[in-house]
This record gives sequence, structure tokens and C-alpha cells, in this order.
Amino acid sequence: MKSFVKSVGALALLLAVGSLAHAELTIDVSKGIEGSGIPIAISPFAGGASENIAAVIASDLKRTGKFAPQSGGAQADYSVTGQASPGGARGYVVQFKLAGAQGSQLLGMSFDVPSSQLRPVAHRISDLIYEKLTGEKGLAGTKIAFVTAGGGFWLLVVADADGQNPNVILRSSQPIMSPSWSPDGSRLAYVSFEGRRPQIVVQDVYSGARRVVSAAPGINGAPSWAPNGQRLAFTLSKDGNPEIYALDLGSQNPVRLTSANAIDTEPVWLPDGSLVFTSDRGGSPQVYRIGPGGGAAQRLTFEGDYNASPTASPDGRYIAMVHRRGGQFYIAALDLKTRQFRVLTSGGLDESPSFAPNGRMIIYSNGRQLNAVSVDGGVKQDFVLRGRVRDPVWAPYGR
Amino acid sequence: MQYVVKTLIAVASLAFLASCASTGQNTEETTDSTITTQTDASGQPGQEAYSYPYGQAPSGYDAYDTGGGEQLAGAPGGGGGRAGRGGGGAGGNVVSADRIVYFEYDSANIRAESRPVIAANARAMTNNRRSVTQLEGHTDERGSREYNIALGERRANAVRQAMTALGVSPQQIRVVSYGEERPAAAGQDEQSYALNRRVEIVY
Repeated sequence: MKSFVKSVGALALLLAVGSLAHAELTIDVSKGIEGSGIPIAISPFAGGASENIAAVIASDLKRTGKFAPQSGGAQADYSVTGQASPGGARGYVVQFKLAGAQGSQLLGMSFDVPSSQLRPVAHRISDLIYEKLTGEKGLAGTKIAFVTAGGGFWLLVVADADGQNPNVILRSSQPIMSPSWSPDGSRLAYVSFEGRRPQIVVQDVYSGARRVVSAAPGINGAPSWAPNGQRLAFTLSKDGNPEIYALDLGSQNPVRLTSANAIDTEPVWLPDGSLVFTSDRGGSPQVYRIGPGGGAAQRLTFEGDYNASPTASPDGRYIAMVHRRGGQFYIAALDLKTRQFRVLTSGGLDESPSFAPNGRMIIYSNGRQLNAVSVDGGVKQDFVLRGRVRDPVWAPYGR
Repeated sequence: MQYVVKTLIAVASLAFLASCASTGQNTEETTDSTITTQTDASGQPGQEAYSYPYGQAPSGYDAYDTGGGEQLAGAPGGGGGRAGRGGGGAGGNVVSADRIVYFEYDSANIRAESRPVIAANARAMTNNRRSVTQLEGHTDERGSREYNIALGERRANAVRQAMTALGVSPQQIRVVSYGEERPAAAGQDEQSYALNRRVEIVY
């Protein structure tokens, strides 16, 4: 309904200004009304491929919040045309062209793919267009992992960034939680309660091979990969209360990094090797930072009465977290450079934030469904996934 | 010396767990969309987890009943459960009320009305020194999942402390926290939350 109103408004203004130089005016009008979105006309791809490539590209670009996809032939700053025809060595030849308003070609490429790769190619094209026009890397070709449960089972699932193509990589009759991607995107660490006790498992996503890396008495929780992929930080309570440990994956001996008579948990690494984590050492859960080897902890959060589950943007500038005020839980972000603290969501039971690999979006859960929000709060997206879904983690760029 | 032995045991159990877990990959026979709980007819613990290479799970995501609905995520679907719980796959909490200690929001303090429950269970355990209990800590669903694991453990430790103060040996007690992962009630209301903030005394 909202977009219908927008369209009518834009159309009325378009008609009002007539044909003279309307392309440029449309840009301004469109931005003025919608507040965001570069108009880009996307024509249906010729050739009769089973996948609607144009629709996938339009959906991908719309989700970024930076583009307002239009149907083919519409007046727009940019246009995308292409075709996907049977042929080539692998089954399909997909070609596309991105042109500017004056018809000048900005991008033109051809892909030789099997029919099973038509959708991934559409995502690839979306990312090529996005990067060409914004200068940033896109997210359409990335993946997410999440946990879902029901009927006595827990599933660990890897899906495309638009929530499509969900693949079960672990099924258990005991809880699964806290998945964390290795920096190269090839492995997931997570907590599994098989055997009715928590342990930290590392699973190779593409072979399915698994290895238990921690099964100490008490909590084994909140695994997080170091930026170099060689170490894991996690929580153990074997010494009496939850503390942060780091384990060199080539060794068997985790090194303890905190010592407080309080809950210390949910460690995540920053690019410089320091860690942020949740601690209630001050009375309420708040986010703290320690150096690569531990040492004195610096408190980072002072807003609200509960800040937990921190996650770092890939460049280390932002910490997103679960934030409670007035009894409601929100996703908030702290800018470590300016110290600005910003609440990003409208609140409820928001939890489990995770940054996209380009640092622009944060995926999170309300315990039932997944949502994403841009780091400035301006762009919001819902994921429509079957079942109850939580614990989302956005995969890094990688393989 | 004692430390060395302990370490050896820890390493051995780690290795054992690792081998258990690694047998999980891609060994499932089920190829149709019917999902059944794996139970071992010989009475050994059924395998609880199966891993699959990306793209090679025998059933698609849509084949799984993840709708939630009336059945609780925490209710075991049938096999694999230990005695006294999860027998028929029924939803809801199946631990009897005289083995559950409830807590206030954000609190691990034992309430006065919980003292008789703890005392009765402690008495049974001091009467039978060979009995062992697992104290399972739980929270409601609000807030961070991993922080809730820590809160659930704090609650279970509070019950353990109360039981050892009544003469139960620490050797008779194991503690595990499930945080918010195994709710007893599915609702998103204060009544359900109150039922979920609990420690179950499981034998």
C-alpha cells in the first residue's frame, strides 16, 4: 500500500513536470519522496531461463536500501538488460549490461553456468552493479547461518543472504546455539548439547566433518573466531564462574583471559586482537574490552541497564549489541570512534546481532524471526523463513 | 600427580567426544522426507546429532517441522531422552512440580517457598549417598541467549549450594544450564516466563 502511494505520487509529479528533462527531475522527486533509492530500470532477461534473473536482481538491489528498482523501460538513472539462454559449455550463457541514463555502457559481462547456478549468478550480477555504482562490496552473494527448532529437533542451517536456498548442515535432538563463522567462511563453530552437556564443536561447512574443541565441566559457550582463523575465544565456567578463554586450535589448552567473580561471557575479537565481551562485574551486564592477552577491562557501555551479546563490525569501528531500556530489548550500536550510542530497532525481544561482511547491515533475531537493519538505522529488512528462527550470523566474504 | 591424572582423563574424554561427534557426518539412512528420531534398539544411547556437507542433507529444510506451534522446542521428540523425561514426546514440562525451583526475573535468589522442595530432595539424597542429580538451570527467553546460559548456571549453582548446605555431597550433584533453549512454556507472557525461570532437579 505504501509503495502504491509512493508510485502514484511519483507518477503524478512526473505527469506534472511533463517530458522536458524529466529524467533528472525524476531523480530529485524520487529521492525527495522516498528518502532513498537510486532509480534503476531492470528489464526481464530474454532467453527463457527457469530462474527469473531480473526479479532476483531487483529484489537484491531493493534490499540494500540504496536503489529503487523499476520495471524495464521506466525512466531511471540506470538500466539493466540481459539474457539467459541455453548454450555454452555448461548449459546456460547469462549476459547482462548496465547502462547509464544516456545509454552509455557501464558494465557488460557474460557467464557460462549450469542451470543450478542461475540464481547465484543473478546475485553476482546484483553485487557487480552495487559495487560499480556505490563503490562498496555487495551482500547479495553472501550467506547466513541460523538455528531453528521445533518438533524436538534443532537444526543448523546455512542459507543465501536473502533467506532463500536453506541447507541443513546439522540436525540434533539436543539444543544447538551460538554459531560463529571462521574468517574464511569454510567452518562454523557452535555450541551443541548432545550428550546433555554443552560442548564447542567446529564443523567444516562443505565436508560436514566435525571436531569437539571444548568439553570442559560446566559452560562451554559463545565461541568466536579470531581474525586470523587460528584461535577461538569462548566461555568456560570450569573454575567456578563464567570466564573468557582463548584456544589456539593447534593446541588443547585454552588460556584464561579474565578473572572476575562475576559472569564474563560472549567474547568477540576486534581486528587488532583485543576482545569485547559481556560482564556483570559492575552489577548489570555491560560490554567491556580487554587486550589480546587479557589484563584490565575497560567498560564501553553506559546506556540503559543491560548491554550484552556484543558483535564487532569487520573494520572494528562499531560494536552492535542487545540493549535493554524500559524492560524492552533493542539492537543498538556503539561507534568506538565517536562514542556515539545509537538504538537501531523498535524493540521487543531483539537479540543476537551480527554484522554483514561489508559492515553496512546487522542481522538479528526477535527469537522467532530474522530481521536486518542498517548500521545507521535507515534501512530495515525482514526475512521470511519457515519456522522459528534465531541465532543468525552473517558469513564473511570468503570462498 | 592428581593434576596429571585429571588432565589425562580430560584429554581422553575430549578424544572420546571428538570421535563420537565425528561419526555423525553423513551416516543417516533416512532419505525420504520423514524425519524419525534415531533410537538404538540395543539400548545404547541413540545418536543425537547428524552433520551434513552443505547441500547434501537427505531432507530439505521444508521437510522439518520447525513451525513451533503448540509443541515446545525443548520437548524431546521421543527417543534419546533419559529416564523420567521426554518419554512420549509430549510437550510441556514433564518433571514433576516437587522437583522444580522457580526464580524471579533477573535473579538467582532462592525464594522461601522453594526451600521445602530443596529440602525434600536434599533429604532423599542424603538418605541415598549413591544417588546423583543433575541440576538443570533455565531462564525465560528475554535477553541475550548466551548471557542466559550464564544466568541459568547461576540459578543451578544456587540450588546446589542450598543442597550441599543440607548435607548433600558435591559429588552427588552435576550442574548444566540450558539458558532459554528448553522452555517449559511457550507463551510470550509473564505467566510463561515465570514457568521458564527454573531449576529442574533431575535424577
